[in-house]
Amino acid sequence: MEHIKNDILDYLKDNSFMDTNIGLNDNDSLTQNGIMDSIGLLELMDYICEKYDIEVPEDMLTPENFDSLQGITNLIVKLVK
Amino acid sequence: MSRIVCKKCVLDSDMPGIDINEESGLCHFCETYVPLSAKEKSDYLVKMEELFKEYGGRGKYDVVFALSGGKDSSYTLHKLKKEYPFLKVLAVQFDNGFISDNAVENAKKICELTGSDYFKLTMENEVLYETFRKAAESRDAFPRLAKYRASDICNTCISIIKQKLIEEAIVQDAPFIMFAFTPGQSPNPIISLQANFIRWSRNIFEKQLLNIGVEDKGEKFLIKNEVIENMGKEGPRMLHPLCLWDYNEGQILEALVEIGWNPPDLNDSNSTNCTLNSFACQNHLEKYGIHPYAFDIAGIVRSGDMSREEGLEKLHQELSQPLIEEAAKKLNYR
Repeated sequence: MEHIKNDILDYLKDNSFMDTNIGLNDNDSLTQNGIMDSIGLLELMDYICEKYDIEVPEDMLTPENFDSLQGITNLIVKLVK
Repeated sequence: MSRIVCKKCVLDSDMPGIDINEESGLCHFCETYVPLSAKEKSDYLVKMEELFKEYGGRGKYDVVFALSGGKDSSYTLHKLKKEYPFLKVLAVQFDNGFISDNAVENAKKICELTGSDYFKLTMENEVLYETFRKAAESRDAFPRLAKYRASDICNTCISIIKQKLIEEAIVQDAPFIMFAFTPGQSPNPIISLQANFIRWSRNIFEKQLLNIGVEDKGEKFLIKNEVIENMGKEGPRMLHPLCLWDYNEGQILEALVEIGWNPPDLNDSNSTNCTLNSFACQNHLEKYGIHPYAFDIAGIVRSGDMSREEGLEKLHQELSQPLIEEAAKKLNYR
């Protein structure tokens, strides 16, 4: 699970221009902390689908699943199985 | 360190957040860029056509189309109706208080030519001016990555358009919403919208409005909650066909002029329809040191649809002072 989390964090650092000095906790909100907006979320979903060869059903695109490192990691683990 | 411009696109090391690899001479985005292949583009177009067949022809409109009257949206609507004449289109032009008369004439003309219905979405100018002034005065209301896509003013304006177009499509029961995004502006050519995500993106924009000091209690800018509550689970699909077609600015302008579209008299290299754009660009450059069109232009250059020289020229063209002063006056911005 840790490598998935690190992979998502690397993606965010490379693509969201997030401040690398801010400490982002696993359950911190990506949207409320100014890291992602709705377009960014769709781009991140595309990246995840391609990288992990999964399809994220659109009804799973919710804050619970997609607004934190932990939520996204859990979702990928669930869908990869 | 002296300023280094990416060898492939137009981004440079002076832009905050942009690093150029000294060995390759490329920015991070060019290093990791994987373009849509011709096959992928053609597959997307096939999928789009299948969606037209499956969901089209059921209601009054098939498509709610965002028509600014500028070159990209005018061209996209014209080409769309040429290739898919059976689509019933409601073209919505948002009057943000700064659209030029020329853009209104062009939008109406394209609708007439394509047999599309025209609808001008208007709001009180004073409310819009106050909102854009607050956006100009704000700092960090939008996430960092949004600042690279557009200015704070344009992010506010385009979010209002998206919210109200989604609302219109749900109310009209139209299965498709279309924007003329270029390859540099759009994350995906086909996006299915479900109630969950529509609600979430509404809440994100509501928070961004609050960040700039605007409380939209009357849901003038936001999708009405009542509309989301009453929609089914599945919402409309957002389609971006322009990013699947060849994009050449010169050819697009030529094709448009041929059908009677009047080139604008605006002295703005990045907008053919909005008189607020130059002010928005200057405001963004002053606040963040980021040109809000740099990423868009870089994306078009990276995809090979514009030469690097042309892109650099466009990016470094001086902004129009008369347009900036006119907009500042309207906004009462000091």
